[in-house]
Amino acid sequence: MSTTLTLNVNGQNHTITVNDPSMPLLWAIRDLIGLTGTKYGCGIEICGACTVLVDGQPEKSCDMDVSSAAGRAIVTIEGLSANRTHPAQVAWIKHQVPQCGYCQSGVLMSVAGAMQAGHTGSSIASEVQNLCVCCTYQRMREAIAGL
Amino acid sequence: MNSWLQVGTDESITLTIGSSDMGQGSASGLAQVLCEDLMVDYARIQIVQGGPTLAAVAPIGTAINTVGSSVTRNNFWKLRDAGAIAREMLVTAAMNQKADLVRANFTVSNGVVHHTPSNTNLTYGQLASAAALLKPPASAPLVADSEFKSIGKPQDRKDIPLKVDGSAKYGIDIQLKGMLYAVVKHCPTFSGTLANAPAVPSGMVAAVPLSVAAGTGRGTEVAGAINAVAVVGHNTWDTWQASKDLSVTWNIPAGAANLDNAHFLATAQALAASAPAYVAGGTNPAGTCYTVEGNATSAAAAIAGSAKILDATYVLPYVSHACMEVLNCTVDYVPGVRCDVYAPTQSAKAALALVVQLTGLLESQITIHTTFLGGGLGRKAEQDFISQAVQVGMVVKQPVKLMWPREEDFTRDQYRPMGLMHARAGLNAAGQVTGWAYRNVSPSILGQRGVPLGATGDSQGIEGAHALPYNLGAAVTEWVSHPSPIPVGFWRSVGASLNTFAVECMIDELALAAGQDPYMFRRSLLTDPRWIAVLDKAATLGNWHAPLAAGHGRGIAIGTAFNTIVAQVVEVSNVTSTRMRVNNVTVVMDCYLAVNPSFVEHQLIGGVVHGLNATLYGRQTFLKGVAQNRNFSHSRMIRMGEMPQVKVALIPNPALSDRTVKLGGAGELGVPTFAPALANACYSATKVRTRTLPFFPNATMSD
Repeated sequence: MSTTLTLNVNGQNHTITVNDPSMPLLWAIRDLIGLTGTKYGCGIEICGACTVLVDGQPEKSCDMDVSSAAGRAIVTIEGLSANRTHPAQVAWIKHQVPQCGYCQSGVLMSVAGAMQAGHTGSSIASEVQNLCVCCTYQRMREAIAGL
Repeated sequence: MNSWLQVGTDESITLTIGSSDMGQGSASGLAQVLCEDLMVDYARIQIVQGGPTLAAVAPIGTAINTVGSSVTRNNFWKLRDAGAIAREMLVTAAMNQKADLVRANFTVSNGVVHHTPSNTNLTYGQLASAAALLKPPASAPLVADSEFKSIGKPQDRKDIPLKVDGSAKYGIDIQLKGMLYAVVKHCPTFSGTLANAPAVPSGMVAAVPLSVAAGTGRGTEVAGAINAVAVVGHNTWDTWQASKDLSVTWNIPAGAANLDNAHFLATAQALAASAPAYVAGGTNPAGTCYTVEGNATSAAAAIAGSAKILDATYVLPYVSHACMEVLNCTVDYVPGVRCDVYAPTQSAKAALALVVQLTGLLESQITIHTTFLGGGLGRKAEQDFISQAVQVGMVVKQPVKLMWPREEDFTRDQYRPMGLMHARAGLNAAGQVTGWAYRNVSPSILGQRGVPLGATGDSQGIEGAHALPYNLGAAVTEWVSHPSPIPVGFWRSVGASLNTFAVECMIDELALAAGQDPYMFRRSLLTDPRWIAVLDKAATLGNWHAPLAAGHGRGIAIGTAFNTIVAQVVEVSNVTSTRMRVNNVTVVMDCYLAVNPSFVEHQLIGGVVHGLNATLYGRQTFLKGVAQNRNFSHSRMIRMGEMPQVKVALIPNPALSDRTVKLGGAGELGVPTFAPALANACYSATKVRTRTLPFFPNATMSD
């Protein structure tokens, strides 16, 4: 009953076998591929901790079937840049944004997706709907303002 | 130097801490303190949380629990002394090597000891082996405040680079070779227990009944009761689905039918009106009234003779912690040999004791690996989830990661207690307070932990309600233990989150009844110069006296917790029955000393919004023992677009090196004064007083 499929994550192909083709992409990325930067928060597409880019678009991986992600270009926080050089990562360090940091992978992927779609500065902010329970929004906003 | 502070022959400097950094910056802050008197650059200090050292005795003591905004304030002088003593041991090793016992001939800079007469250098790494053989001196001179290079400076946090590239490992990220996955399914009803052990679902490895380990259960959850099952499988998703589908029969005691909000509120109202007094040596069951301070009879008499009498009741709900990272723990247990535990815990030392209790292993055979925490907020000081993971590990005898789905995390929390606070006070014709009678009715956090309550009740329940610096005439503060057995625990700022709301709203109501400005009224009741300075600064920075636009309101509140004084001014607009706009918040704090003002500012801003989420939306409700809010969909929180602009000012203090002044905490201090400042602002905007939180109990959120 198991299904074998290929996921392209951060430019690399991973062949995985799943019992349930409706396993969310999140759990395939974390448990089967072993990239744990993408986080589980709510499982119902509200918090955004699981956000990744799929063909350049921010998607909540907790509610996307792994089978529908096969063959598409998936980028996780680990693939956002080499050595934390993406402008959003640079700004996040400069403004010392994270507290606990758990939500920040998803936030940064939302920011990166908005930038890729052509948004700059405060117009990025309106695209970012992620929850941060530490409430680091003020420094996020300051960091985003320079992007 | 010892097992906690190590100076390596490779020039490394490693400090092991028993406390946990959940994003406060406290680990980096401790490094900032240590490096000052050790005389090395901040960048050279490596911090290790937990690990094998936990089993070692801490010679200078160390914060093992990360609670009560305590990490920095409890360790500040200890780490300064430790750094100075270690430095002098290293210098003594240099003196011995140079055969020059004149201390004045040696100076230290960034871990290099310079011998002036010979103009030669010895590094800490070169001296470490010899220094390790020396007996530490009892004390050593500290760096003068005027020479500080690190303390009080806004250094960058050491953990932030790991938190922007996904490499920070939280508990839920642990992956061990051959690891299984366990997903917890609790009885949905508090007090319910397992009727029959379920069969192992198809494709799964095990279905493990989980019992409440001694010391980990609260209220309805008594030691030995089997209140959950863990399904064990090969990945999170398949195991979670099997857990959802698992058919389990639970025994639900008849008393569970009364575990609901309406019942809890009625009980609280009755106890606010009448409750039997504490009797020394008596049984003092739940429902007992404890006099925290003052005298009820004289307060009542003073109030009765007043020109004006105010009477108000404030009601706050149970609130979930809702950390971004759900509860989880990974265990690698080898029977009779060892147990490694990987946990996002605020209490690593308590976890160590628990694992000894459960496995019978020696402390030296157990290692608690404290991971990064995706929020703690008090919930991860508890041990229930660690106990469950160890129980599963002992059954499957191979590495296993146990996690609570979000719905379990919301519905099986140890909640911020509900509270009903009744306040009654009098004013004379001149607008002065003649008497003050305050009674808090709330479930006891310490009582649910088996701590005997003395004559003044639960110290956690009364924070923010006693030793008020206001001149309130004849005053009494009472606390009544509410009998609700719903599990309660420590939620960021604990009792102050209840009491500061009620006290500061009541003070506002008195000010308005006296026809006075709420800021100036507070000022007239205060004599403590530190309180007055904080209040004045908040009023100035918050533009208290500036004209308000139509529909806008401004509120003020001040309070104390964990030795720190905080005042806030909040400005709101667009207040309706379903929403409001919080525009600006000003926070002023006196914690006596801020090791890193940037960390403190960030914590205060976060605390303000933590308070904001709870004040507007936060509550958990119960129906027949079942928690009703199961996810963020019914526990709304603000997103970035709703973020108010928060201004922070720290009152500086020049007397840093005064050991006689207690340092204050910072991590929880943004929370308590926000709710009353907001409620007071809403009154200013609408002339309608809100005494029951949250403002918007039925708010929801979606994607």
